[in-house]
Amino acid sequence: MKPLLEVEDLKVAFDTPGGRVEAVRGVSFTLGRERLGIVGESGSGKTMTGRAILRLVQPPGRVTAKRLAFDGRDLLSLPERGMRALRGRRLAMVMQDPKYSLNPVMTVGRQLTEGLRRRDRLSAGAARRRAVAMLEAVQIRDPERVMGAYPHELSGGMGQRVMIAMMLIPEPDLLIADEPTSALDVTVEAEVLRILDGLVRERGLGLIFISHDLPLVARFCDRVLVMYAGRVVESLAASELEQARHPYTRGLLRCLPAVGGPRGPLPTLRRDPGWAE
Amino acid sequence: MALIEIAGLEVVFAARGEAVRAVRGIDLSVEPRESFGLVGESGSGKSTVLRALCGLAPVSAGRALIDGRAPPALGRIGSRDRAFARRVQMVFQDPYGSLHPRHTVDRVLSEPLLVHGLGGRRERDRRVEAALQDVGLDASFRFRYPHQLSGGQRQRVAVARALMLEPSVLLLDEPTSALDASVQAEVLNLLSRLREERGLTFLMVSHDFAVIDHMCDRLAVMQQGRIVEVLDREALARGAVREDYTRALLAASQAHAPVQ
Ligand SMILES: Nc1ncnc2c1ncn2[C@@H]1O[C@H](COP(=O)(O)OP(=O)(O)OP(=O)(O)O)[C@@H](O)[C@H]1O
Ligand SMILES: Nc1ncnc2c1ncn2[C@@H]1O[C@H](COP(=O)(O)OP(=O)(O)OP(=O)(O)O)[C@@H](O)[C@H]1O
Ligand SMILES: [Mg+2]
Ligand SMILES: [Mg+2]
Repeated sequence: MKPLLEVEDLKVAFDTPGGRVEAVRGVSFTLGRERLGIVGESGSGKTMTGRAILRLVQPPGRVTAKRLAFDGRDLLSLPERGMRALRGRRLAMVMQDPKYSLNPVMTVGRQLTEGLRRRDRLSAGAARRRAVAMLEAVQIRDPERVMGAYPHELSGGMGQRVMIAMMLIPEPDLLIADEPTSALDVTVEAEVLRILDGLVRERGLGLIFISHDLPLVARFCDRVLVMYAGRVVESLAASELEQARHPYTRGLLRCLPAVGGPRGPLPTLRRDPGWAE
Repeated sequence: MALIEIAGLEVVFAARGEAVRAVRGIDLSVEPRESFGLVGESGSGKSTVLRALCGLAPVSAGRALIDGRAPPALGRIGSRDRAFARRVQMVFQDPYGSLHPRHTVDRVLSEPLLVHGLGGRRERDRRVEAALQDVGLDASFRFRYPHQLSGGQRQRVAVARALMLEPSVLLLDEPTSALDASVQAEVLNLLSRLREERGLTFLMVSHDFAVIDHMCDRLAVMQQGRIVEVLDREALARGAVREDYTRALLAASQAHAPVQ
């Protein structure tokens, strides 16, 4: 079967007054209707990889690739209009900074219903019911109040869930979720993961799940890419994470605190400059 | 006397004629040099408690005191505010929102020193460089703007800023939520070392039970604006918890324990 997404030799670079920053340095992978985890060090290029696929890297950032195709269509040559149409419907990304990616002067309700009204031509009442149902699904306790709230009136985890709800409403085929549960406690997180899992199984969603939480990715995803300094240094089945070979991946698991664990300094990584080559 | 003292605290936000009761009467005291954790449901009022201690949330009833005093009133710049800032610093949950979008990292970190008249140019430069290094950022980050940083890099700048004035009380709201395990370990080790060296007092929010257990002596579990349970580390280790919600959190964090 044809992959949903093909990425070959993707690069993202920024020319800044302080010099050139190579954020992504030749990343390649394909994605089917599956759950692909991307883990990696802070600053290793996970977010920029996601943004580049959606063509959301702002200038002066420059994106190049040998191939970047969604459902067989070349994304690099697609005019911006076509790209925007895809983003509104078939491609979506849950941003790492949800509260700053939402519109600060528009209520949550309006942001959630806008697309339903315009794109799907739902009545105000029907759009509202859909939005409230989606907020309930992501475990928002008082959806009616949250519909009327502005982003700054939400807690961190509520903002994250509103963003997830907003991206799921158009029923995309490809969802890039950038640290979507980093502000959620485990009980709510489990519920959000259950929803995403259901969409992958039942609707054939392709999911790129960016996270710094290795144990979570090991449990939730099918495959994992490990990024370090702009490159994929390891690619493996999630179930094989214990047999990871790369010293970065292996070292990560040792750095985690555990309930009831020892109190002294946590083990840290000795980074080898060779890892970045 | 406790260093942080919260008694009967209620915070009510008025939103379009509706009252949102974010904090519904909580009592909590943190001793000098103690490290106290807050965990709980998303939306249960954890950030609001920290904000009330800084004077950034409307206290409708009760009190939230540090050193026996209420925080200075919002928006006034006076000598009391400066004294407060030197003693108490907060790391906000939202690193993006808390960093000025048009200030470079250098300015973010050196401004507190400048405002408080600490050190000359040379000394400020040295301290900015040291602060970056402490959070694992090399000198190439010094003249970047927040939008030129990754999520975790921004969070580390926010931590570094809070440490610039060498405060004795740190209010930490999910300070490592955007960091991978290796960088998280470095930041947590830094915080623990400073606490030891300088006798700091922490009030720390995290949704990660293991992080709280590693960093804190005691913790409170919040649900819907209330504290439902207070535990010390030893009770946690024995699994001696009362509330179902706490038990669920604990069980989940153990199920999540790294595969060794
Ligand atoms: N506008 C920019 N100008 C220069 N460098 C940038 C810019 N935006 C991002 N970078 C750099 O690109 C690198 C990759 O950033 P990215 O946001 O993809 O990291 P990440 O893997 O998502 O990290 P985190 O886990 O901390 O969010 C980082 O080192 C970052 O500093
Ligand atoms: N400025 C505000 N106006 C109205 N309501 C607010 C405001 N700030 C916070 N709230 C509400 O107060 C409640 C508690 O929010 P708070 O940010 O303290 O939660 P939290 O426990 O930190 O959650 P999270 O773990 O998701 O960050 C939420 O219901 C939130 O919507
Ligand atoms: Mg990122
Ligand atoms: Mg919060």
